[in-house]
Amino acid sequence: MYEFDWSSIIPALPFLGSGMVLTLKITVVAITVGIVWGTLLALMRLSGIKLLSLFATGYINLFRSIPLVLVLLWFFLLVPSLLSNLFNIPRSSDTRLVSAMVAFALFEAAFYSEIIRSGISSVSRGQFAAAHALGMSYAQAMRLVILPQAFRNMVPLLLTQGIILFQDTSLVYVSSLADFFGTAYKVGDRDGRLVELLLFAGAVYFIICFSASLLVKHYQKRKAI
Amino acid sequence: MISLSKVSKHYGSFQVLTDCSTEIKKGEVIVICGPSGSGKSTLIKCVNGLESIQQGEIIVNGISVNDPKTNLSKLRAHVGMVFQNFELFPHMSVLDNLCIAQTKVLGRSQEEAADRGLKLLDRVGLSLHAKKFPGQLSGGQQQRVAIARALAMDPICMLFDEPTSALDPEMVNEVLDVMVGLAQEGMTMMVVTHEMGFARKVANRVIFMDHGHIIEDASKDDFFNKPRSERAQQFLSKILQH
Repeated sequence: MYEFDWSSIIPALPFLGSGMVLTLKITVVAITVGIVWGTLLALMRLSGIKLLSLFATGYINLFRSIPLVLVLLWFFLLVPSLLSNLFNIPRSSDTRLVSAMVAFALFEAAFYSEIIRSGISSVSRGQFAAAHALGMSYAQAMRLVILPQAFRNMVPLLLTQGIILFQDTSLVYVSSLADFFGTAYKVGDRDGRLVELLLFAGAVYFIICFSASLLVKHYQKRKAI
Repeated sequence: MISLSKVSKHYGSFQVLTDCSTEIKKGEVIVICGPSGSGKSTLIKCVNGLESIQQGEIIVNGISVNDPKTNLSKLRAHVGMVFQNFELFPHMSVLDNLCIAQTKVLGRSQEEAADRGLKLLDRVGLSLHAKKFPGQLSGGQQQRVAIARALAMDPICMLFDEPTSALDPEMVNEVLDVMVGLAQEGMTMMVVTHEMGFARKVANRVIFMDHGHIIEDASKDDFFNKPRSERAQQFLSKILQH
């Protein structure tokens, strides 16, 4: 019978904490860049300019049809040589974090842009007409009238996507980056306590994600009133 | 002030407007009525270019609306429009609704815009509601805010697209009162409405539309006392029955 031994967790907490910081860093960067780039993609897709909407549609379909792990690996392999060619940075320097951030941001943008596009479409056409009737340009109408309402409608979906992203960051283990999952794995491996450490990591992910989704639900309820 | 000559519009093979021509002088109040689907809302939306036209010409204050070279935003800034569903911006306070286009389109300062906004809110009897959000107001109050929002731009004319159709009956009059006041002050107005009481009170002319055609374009008295077309007679007898 297997005997649990949790004793290696407490001394490893600072290390695990540094892993969590890295996880949060990737999450925050990917959400921020993903939403900004996703908004631009959504606007391109909705614009009447054929070339832009074709590009955005292609981009979105591409990233939505490829497993995230593959994208991560590509960037892990590509970005270092790209950077060394472009900026003369030595190939040996550690660009894993940057390439992971870029990969997540570009990947998430495809998903965010679809959420944002539906958010923009959910604002009634009449709001556009009213903004135009007051003399606003297309850009002003978008920025001042349509997007603020679209984002307000989208907050729950965007947060939910953020929670999924937070979990997905554990995939950076393919580049052996020390995120929260990676550090837990390393500690467990070192001390021969892999089962305990992975159970602990699972519990931490669960608590964070479940509380976050409760917050989203709470927000939705408050908004419904 | 506003002139339409032989305006035609179609969606694919569906003809919405056919050869619509009329002339509106400064200070005139025109009521446009007709059965639903007759194209009256489309016609009024063509006047400020919210709907495009395929044939004919629309001239507002000397500027051709359908000329591709025309800066439509600039023209629209001075043509007020009020919509059936109010279309206030729900994420802004009432006062911000009145200020946003003044500052962003006309380039007025925030103080100047707020000053003008509050004056107009007072005029429509809603100065106590400046800090509220549109969702906290009744339909009639929202529509009065929408009128004030349009007036804040110092429009040269006002377009009303069925301004009372979405309102509960007891709120219709508070909106019509504001509109009557405007008309009596000499505002040039084009009003799509079924409120014949309003037409009788302030309209100079009544335009009757059916199937995208202007069937009747007559002075108020002629229209109500001796409509020429059978279609207008039928329409009038139906809506004036009760």
